[in-house]
Amino acid sequence: MPEVDTLIQRYLEGVLSTDEAEALHGLIEANPEDGRRLLRHLEMDAMLRASKGLTNGGMRAPMLLPKRRFTVTTVAGVAALAACVALVGGWIGSGLIESTRSESEATTASVAVLTRAVNLEWESPAMTVGTPLVPGVLKMKSGLAQIEFYHGARVLIEGPAEFELVSAGEATCTRGKLSAQVPPQAKGFRINTPKGTIVDLGTEFGLDVSSGTSEVHVFKGEVELHPVSDAMRSLKEGQALSFAGAPTSLAANPLGFASLGDIDSRTVDSQRMELERWKAKSQILNEDSALKLRFDFQDRLGSRSLMNQAGAEGRNGDGSIVGAEWTQGRWPGKGALEFRNVSDRVRLSIPGETKALTLAACVRINGLDRVFNSLFMSESWGDRKIHWQITRDGLIRLGVAGSGGDRHVDYDAPVFFTPERFGRWIQIAVVFDPTAREVRHYAEGDLIARLPMKDATPLRIGIAELGNWNDSRQKGGVAIRHLSGAMDEFALWDRVLRDDEIARLARWF
Amino acid sequence: MNTDETHAAQAFLTHHDFVKGVALKYAPWPGLVEDICQQVFLEFLAKEDRWDVSRDLRPLLATMTRHVAMRLWRERTRQQPEVVQKLAEHIRQLAESQEAPPRYEEEIAVLRNCLQKLPEKSRELVELYYYNEVGTPEIAEQINMRTDTVCRALSRVREKLRECIERSMERGGAAHA
Repeated sequence: MPEVDTLIQRYLEGVLSTDEAEALHGLIEANPEDGRRLLRHLEMDAMLRASKGLTNGGMRAPMLLPKRRFTVTTVAGVAALAACVALVGGWIGSGLIESTRSESEATTASVAVLTRAVNLEWESPAMTVGTPLVPGVLKMKSGLAQIEFYHGARVLIEGPAEFELVSAGEATCTRGKLSAQVPPQAKGFRINTPKGTIVDLGTEFGLDVSSGTSEVHVFKGEVELHPVSDAMRSLKEGQALSFAGAPTSLAANPLGFASLGDIDSRTVDSQRMELERWKAKSQILNEDSALKLRFDFQDRLGSRSLMNQAGAEGRNGDGSIVGAEWTQGRWPGKGALEFRNVSDRVRLSIPGETKALTLAACVRINGLDRVFNSLFMSESWGDRKIHWQITRDGLIRLGVAGSGGDRHVDYDAPVFFTPERFGRWIQIAVVFDPTAREVRHYAEGDLIARLPMKDATPLRIGIAELGNWNDSRQKGGVAIRHLSGAMDEFALWDRVLRDDEIARLARWF
Repeated sequence: MNTDETHAAQAFLTHHDFVKGVALKYAPWPGLVEDICQQVFLEFLAKEDRWDVSRDLRPLLATMTRHVAMRLWRERTRQQPEVVQKLAEHIRQLAESQEAPPRYEEEIAVLRNCLQKLPEKSRELVELYYYNEVGTPEIAEQINMRTDTVCRALSRVREKLRECIERSMERGGAAHA
């Protein structure tokens, strides 16, 4: 009969004979340590089976809708045999095996992207510029929104409007006005209305679906109109048709619709106003006596330090920029620092200890290339230091080190930074609230996680870095945890900000 | 736009290693953990409108996982010969009687580093057996060794990984090692 290790392996492999099962049962009954040994192997076996996506520098890829992500991927026999042959070489000599692993890929259901927004007020949940859009209804109260469909059509919608994205080449407009530019690559783009469907043949046209009105105006090229209760009509440049009731021919009126030129000039005006509004709100923020550190990233272009704007007594010092280069922030005229290199960081110091803490930052994440991607991390680790970071999976984590030999605690928000959120400016915050014994995570002003606090001992941040991490304990090399992205605002309070304050901050930030 | 489904899926994903840890405690049967995790995921999504995903989901997921694990474990072991069923039941009781809470979630996080520290031959063995799903008899045949030898080699690799994980955990775990 094989020895216990072999029996355990055969159990794990699911190939135990009845005799072997009986023998293994007898062994673990007679010797409890063999039973515990089997459990340890079983646990490691499960972890190794699950580690398929963890190796070769790749942790699990972020997934938006991972319904089947847990299915074990089978590998073709030929590939397995080839790998076997490679192992022979490896065991005899030193050959390496080419991995035949296939990894799960992230997926997206989006069909279009919001590329411009001017004075936009939403009736449906608000979207910011850069938001990938999945099929569904968008309701706008007012303002202008420019949407680019993945097939290439560009649509400018004027609120109030109700607009449903159906696919990358199709939409439905039940209310509102829009103009569309459809390049040849997007030929066949369709817009449905309650009274008929417009099929674009590569052109520019306007559509007005107001109360009692349904009009299509062709500015360039040709469209097909398929009225619900009439035969298809072809409309050419300069022609328009009212089709709510009996079809009536009109002259096309380009001035009746917002043009892409309009949105360019109105976007510039809107961004200038946003920047001015932010500057005015910044003054108010800086006066909070609990604000110990605030970088607005409006320092002189080329400056290698960030000035602490917090006006409170006992405020902390400025930050020193290492490596990171200046770039544009949320609006023209707004500064930001780009972190893209292993050396890029802003070093600062938060001396002493703090019982309560709120951190907030406005960041644009380009990708989550590393296992841990630093937002704000104390140097080294231990003794109530903190690590605010994003994991490769996209979850936001506040790690708090234990003191006196206690274990650290990771306070994790659910996965937030999915690929759809890359490349957009997003405000995030975290609150360490010892009174409520909670850690709370926020994104865009919304509470996304409320986690019970395991240890309310005051925090000691000390020397820390924005966008990177340094471990002074290590001599042979420090784990690479720099951010891949940009930051254009950062603030630290030694008090708990309430939910409504965080929500207001998201509007101000 | 079904953003709720996305939120629920994301919330689950955050905890899926926790779910696997619980699954392992209640259904210690080889290869069953992934199936349990997937089933819990589907049942969690099916009732997503009942859950408040901003709260700590662990107590809920622990209960759901326990029920699913026991159900699937019964289904899986029922198909086995009686002697294997008895062995499986004994192992299940052993796992349930473990006092320490499941550490799977913390340990899987440090496993990656430990895998990278393995000697090359051991890594190759893990690749073949766990990632390319080549059985021990086939590996043994190809390298002209006995199956028992390959079984012992796999056993040693798992033990080395266990030791490495223990050392890392003592130093503070994955994020801060």
